[in-house]
Amino acid sequence: MKLQISNLNKTYPNGVKALDNLNLEIGTGMFGLLGPNGAGKSSLMRTIATLQKPDSGSITFEGINILENQMELRKILGYLPQEFGVYPSMSAEKLLDYFARLKGISSSKDRKIIIKEVLEVTNLYDVRMKNVSGYSGGMKQRFGIAQLLLNNPKLIIVDEPTAGLDPAERHRFLNVLREIGTNHTVIFSTHIVDDVKELCTEVAILNGGKILNQNTPAAAVEALENKIWTKVVSRDELEPSEKEFNVISSNYNQDNTLNIRVFSETQPDETFKKASPQLEDVYFVALKNDQ
Amino acid sequence: MFGTIFTFELKRWFRNPTLYIYVAIFFFLAFFIMASSLGVFDSFKTTTSSRAISNSPIALNGIINGLTVFIYFLLPSIIGASVYRDFKYNMHSILFSYPFTKWEYLFGKFLSSLLVVIFITLFLGLAAYLASFLPGVNQEMLGPQRIMAYLQTYLIFIIPNLLFYGVIIFSVVTITRNISVGFITVILLLFIQSIVSSFTKDADNRYLVALFEPFGSDALDYYTKYWTMYEKNNNLLPFEGVIIYNRLLWFGVSVLIFGLIYRYFSFTQTALTLGRSKNKERVVKNNFGGITKINLPQVSFDYSLKQNLKTTWSLSNLDFKFIVKNWVFISILIVGLLFILITASVIGEVFGTNTYPVTWQMLLIPGGTFGLFINLVTFLFAGLLIHRGTTTRMNHLIDSTPVPNWVLLTSKFIALIKMQLILLFVILLAGVLYQTYSGFYDYEIGHYLKELLGLKLIHFVIWAFLAIIIQTLFKNYLLGFFVLLILSIGLNFLPAIGVEQDIFIYNSDSGFQYSDMNGYGHGLNLYLIYKIYWFLLGITFFCLALLFWTRGIGQSAKERFKEAGRRLHSKIAISLTLSFVGFLAIGSTIYYQNNVINKTKSGKESEKEMVQWEKKYKKYEHKPQPRITDIKMDMDLYPKERNFVANGTYILKNKTKVAIDTIYINHGKNTEVSFNVKNKLISKDTVFNFDIYRLEKSLIVGDSIQMKFVVKNKPNTFFRDNSPVEYNGTFINNSMFPSIGYSDQSELTDDEVRKKYGLKPRDRMPKPTDSIARQNTYISNDADWVTFETTVSTSNDQTAIAPGYLIKKWTKDGRNYFHYKMDRKMLNFYAFNSARYEVKKDKWHDVNIEIYYNKGHEYNIDRMISGVKKSLDYYTKNFSPYQHKQVRIIEFPRTGGGFAQSFANTIPFSEAIGFIAKVDDEDQNGVDYPFSITSHEVAHQWWAHQVIGANVQGATLLSESLSEYSSLKVLEHTYGKTQMRKFLKDALDSYLQGRTFENKKEQPLMYNENQQYIHYNKGSLVLYALSDYIGEKNMNNALKRYIQKVAFQEAPYTNSIELVQELDAATPDSLKYLIHDMFETITLYENRVEKATAKKLPNGTYEVKIDFTVSKYKANDDGKRLFKDKTGKTVTYKKKDSKYAIESYPLNDYVEIGVFSEQTVKGKKKDKELYLKKVKIDKINNSVTVIVKEKPLEVGVDPYNKLIDTQSDDNRIKI
Repeated sequence: MKLQISNLNKTYPNGVKALDNLNLEIGTGMFGLLGPNGAGKSSLMRTIATLQKPDSGSITFEGINILENQMELRKILGYLPQEFGVYPSMSAEKLLDYFARLKGISSSKDRKIIIKEVLEVTNLYDVRMKNVSGYSGGMKQRFGIAQLLLNNPKLIIVDEPTAGLDPAERHRFLNVLREIGTNHTVIFSTHIVDDVKELCTEVAILNGGKILNQNTPAAAVEALENKIWTKVVSRDELEPSEKEFNVISSNYNQDNTLNIRVFSETQPDETFKKASPQLEDVYFVALKNDQ
Repeated sequence: MFGTIFTFELKRWFRNPTLYIYVAIFFFLAFFIMASSLGVFDSFKTTTSSRAISNSPIALNGIINGLTVFIYFLLPSIIGASVYRDFKYNMHSILFSYPFTKWEYLFGKFLSSLLVVIFITLFLGLAAYLASFLPGVNQEMLGPQRIMAYLQTYLIFIIPNLLFYGVIIFSVVTITRNISVGFITVILLLFIQSIVSSFTKDADNRYLVALFEPFGSDALDYYTKYWTMYEKNNNLLPFEGVIIYNRLLWFGVSVLIFGLIYRYFSFTQTALTLGRSKNKERVVKNNFGGITKINLPQVSFDYSLKQNLKTTWSLSNLDFKFIVKNWVFISILIVGLLFILITASVIGEVFGTNTYPVTWQMLLIPGGTFGLFINLVTFLFAGLLIHRGTTTRMNHLIDSTPVPNWVLLTSKFIALIKMQLILLFVILLAGVLYQTYSGFYDYEIGHYLKELLGLKLIHFVIWAFLAIIIQTLFKNYLLGFFVLLILSIGLNFLPAIGVEQDIFIYNSDSGFQYSDMNGYGHGLNLYLIYKIYWFLLGITFFCLALLFWTRGIGQSAKERFKEAGRRLHSKIAISLTLSFVGFLAIGSTIYYQNNVINKTKSGKESEKEMVQWEKKYKKYEHKPQPRITDIKMDMDLYPKERNFVANGTYILKNKTKVAIDTIYINHGKNTEVSFNVKNKLISKDTVFNFDIYRLEKSLIVGDSIQMKFVVKNKPNTFFRDNSPVEYNGTFINNSMFPSIGYSDQSELTDDEVRKKYGLKPRDRMPKPTDSIARQNTYISNDADWVTFETTVSTSNDQTAIAPGYLIKKWTKDGRNYFHYKMDRKMLNFYAFNSARYEVKKDKWHDVNIEIYYNKGHEYNIDRMISGVKKSLDYYTKNFSPYQHKQVRIIEFPRTGGGFAQSFANTIPFSEAIGFIAKVDDEDQNGVDYPFSITSHEVAHQWWAHQVIGANVQGATLLSESLSEYSSLKVLEHTYGKTQMRKFLKDALDSYLQGRTFENKKEQPLMYNENQQYIHYNKGSLVLYALSDYIGEKNMNNALKRYIQKVAFQEAPYTNSIELVQELDAATPDSLKYLIHDMFETITLYENRVEKATAKKLPNGTYEVKIDFTVSKYKANDDGKRLFKDKTGKTVTYKKKDSKYAIESYPLNDYVEIGVFSEQTVKGKKKDKELYLKKVKIDKINNSVTVIVKEKPLEVGVDPYNKLIDTQSDDNRIKI
């Protein structure tokens, strides 16, 4: 089970280059796609989900050429877009039945079984008779997962699913994802570093339509061992420091001083202390290098 | 802040390309319509000619207002959505925290969007204006450019109407936050408007309707309905009285509604929804979720074709549910049902009398407005369904499932068809309901189903195909809807730019018509061929829709084409090619049949042929020719094969004073002619079928020769019908047989068009004194009185009928033969009927009465028989003896026309005008028209078959007007004076409306040129009034004397002058002015009661004082009012408080004054005459005082509308 993306390009009519000769290889497990807003995450996700055509390049999954043979991919695809709506005045059960039909589950008995299961997995069974259009954000996202599971997909694409969820919902959601991710390929895009840290077996950082870094979270962090340095500076010292050092992030402390983190192969000067690298550092370093 | 909101909204629209699409659509629509009516396209089509000026104020108002109706459909998305949009995009949560007031917000939004709509409408006027500068404009039809005309239209009608509709739509959409509800509202308002307007059918309601009809068009109509050509071309729109009240009323209502929405609008409100609210329960979600193990059960997946088809069906049910739950649909359904029930109650009404609600009549309903309803919802829901995913933003979920595009598209298409089926079943339901309500239990469910499912459904399905492709191509469903609306209506106007053939106009067909006698007849095959033809194009559209179907993210046009190319795999390519090739094949076959094998002439070509005909052969018009004196016909009709063969023999006699050596034969197609003397064909014309024979030996004066001819129809083919013979109910007359000499019947009559082709202007008919023209009757120009004998054969289940008496009847080789012979000479005017007839026989003295009718049409046979008897009574007593021993009425299918026609002792009578009439004898306002039409046709046995006018102006006064008069008298003697009122009111209205459409010139009655509104409608009014003034007996005696003088005369034939002389002689001197007013000139009155008071006198009687005005005027042939007599005398009167003086032609007239109370007869209130007398008046303002015995309730001047009065509803006033 391997998703192979090569030389993918997409430029929108307004001139924005959303995908810039992008290459990526994704295996089984949770794959985190990390990037700032506008990095091209959704474009990439939609392209993999057959909803958008790239200008050039190729994508294959288990030998299926996705761009040529969209139907074959759709059969094993589960997709949860970043944002979606549903037909109004239809209950979760009815909508899932609708999707089950679309996904080719012919027998009504089968549909009943699988719908019950996905409702239970996503903890929506109690509210299955309620209209989905009236669900809260978290419930709706879970419904998204429920519909996605109907065809027991091998490739699952979830686009920024945790944005706007409360902590409890987010946890529950990530747990479900994690569960699925154990024996499927799950591509999971987010701009929240913590999501990736907790879940992903592999992570890639995307910016400006390009993959900046691809690694396992642990290895990525390890790669920065002894290269992250920190120092407390006053507000006025920030600008000179930024000029002098490769500052990748800065956070206020409560006394109005700032913690800056610097990426450097060697200790920049003695005022800096070595810091243990975080995944966030990986993210910022990658973005910084891309500037 | 108001300014900010206002300009922001405006800017947003003016940057939106949709606005410019709308502008362009309307600009070009108006431009084309105006250009077409100005004759710009005359090089491709028939010449546009009319005396009406295309840019007169009232014409402009018509065009601009007419097109504005389409703009009402834009209101929901422009004005309605102005506030709704903020909610839709969740802007309101931000916006409403800004510091502006409700007033600024609502008013800014409303005013700016109203301005945008007005901006669009301005292009209608601009286009109409610019079109008048096109090259090729017929300057005759272009009046002066009057800015005032545009200003009036916009300020009095367009802008106030948009304000009113805008306010309503704005309120409705703002409150419900649903654009669809805005659509329903538009449709409802249009519906209400048409219902309100329909009340004007009764003239007594006209003022009220004018006041309350929200468009103001009935208010305008109140003053302009009877405008003559002169007035249309010269007058500005009236802005007075009820128009002002109407406009003020609805402006007030608009302000009120806006006030209400202002009062109740709240920034924080939630949308108003219909339906019950669900039980509310507190929901607390589980915030502590555990980890679940996911073990999805194994299910099987099936992506086979069969499964896809099953999915298609089940998805279509879901989509269908979406439609039927939608309020737009539900409203249309209810409105449609109401509409059908209301229409059903007036359909087929003649003279206030309904017909029985037979099934075919119920089925006429979907052809019109209800058909438009079905189209509207098809267009709308095609868009809503196709864009349903995008609208709800569920499309990405759907599009990433493995469901093929065709499943999605087909399911939506099927849902649309299911919706259409529901609407068609509504017709069935409403029809049966109405039939039951009317106590008519002869339900023909099979007929309903056959027509609705077999014939109508495919028509709407073809529109659904177009809707699918358009809505797929357009991203904005409202724009798509709009384009479809314009297309579906605009296609009907293609003939206006010279595209006339059905194969070029989407979904047009040869049509079909049902008759109880003949079923759908032979027309059905061709109809279905056309429908299959368009269905194939529909499939092509469907395939294209598949190619351009949006899946995933919307793409640019270029990418969509690229994607379409990628999707064009073999299956689609084959379907696309097959359907398109099939479409082309059928189309080209029809084209070949209609244009190569048989020449279908375009209107333009026919026009040119008429010119050619005249230029080439007119020179033979007055060449001496022999006259037909004897006719023998062997007519073989083959109803099953729909063929006929006619073998005819004419005896031609030289009645002239010179020897004749050349004979001109004017004939139809497939005709062979031979003579019993040696001759030579010296000219044969296969285009005009006009042949010239030279006789070897001249036909000397008084001598005769025999001419034989054979006429057949060209064989009928699958694609083309060449025969007038019907399966059941053939009705053909002698016009298909050869005639002798040149005929001016096929000359161009319009002087403008004639001028264009270099022809001299001509009168439609020669002057009454034209001695050459008086050599011919207006029925025939090659015969006087002829002997007639015929043998007609038909299939063994049918009866064939022709004028004459049945001599012999036999059956041979499985065919029925009938030999008829007329015992005396008759006009050269005869017909053949054949059908499966039932017969009812009766007798009047020694005259046999026979009614031949279709089984099931027994309803009014007795009324007809009674009509025949009463007529024979009256006419023999008052005019002269009946010349025949037989009167036969013969039913023919409504598809052959809706008229009756009187041949010698034989009257073919359409099934549509009496056989299914539902006469209510109690109803004062309903005329027993099976009776009155019978009576009219019987009268023709005198007024045509005894007295026949020469082929000159006024000829039809002698036939049609006198027949109308005669039948009115029979009606009056049978039913009493009260039935006259309805009849005369209708006649007055028809006359006054008829003259507004006159496109040449209105003639006085005695000089009428076969103008129906004059010889029928004015004729009946005038002759009835004259008999009222000079006395019925006196009048009939004059007619009797006239008959004695001219009946059965030979040439020169009589004319209207001779009749009027006879009437004049019977008229006392004091009333002679009537003859001049009514016959020799066009005279109209404006009579009006100004005031009436009553006072009880001590002796118990009442003194009634009536103030009234009488104004009389003459009209010239253009309809211009003339108030001066020849010597220039005129009278005027100015009321004290009035700005304008009333003018009148000098008066010395008798006008009837009446005083009425009420009485109850059989539970119905009726007028009771307390006083009725003609008083002499010689000035405009008059006052009379009369004493009556009972308490008066109403008074009137000319209360029965005996005089011709354009404002007939102010002749009476209640005390």
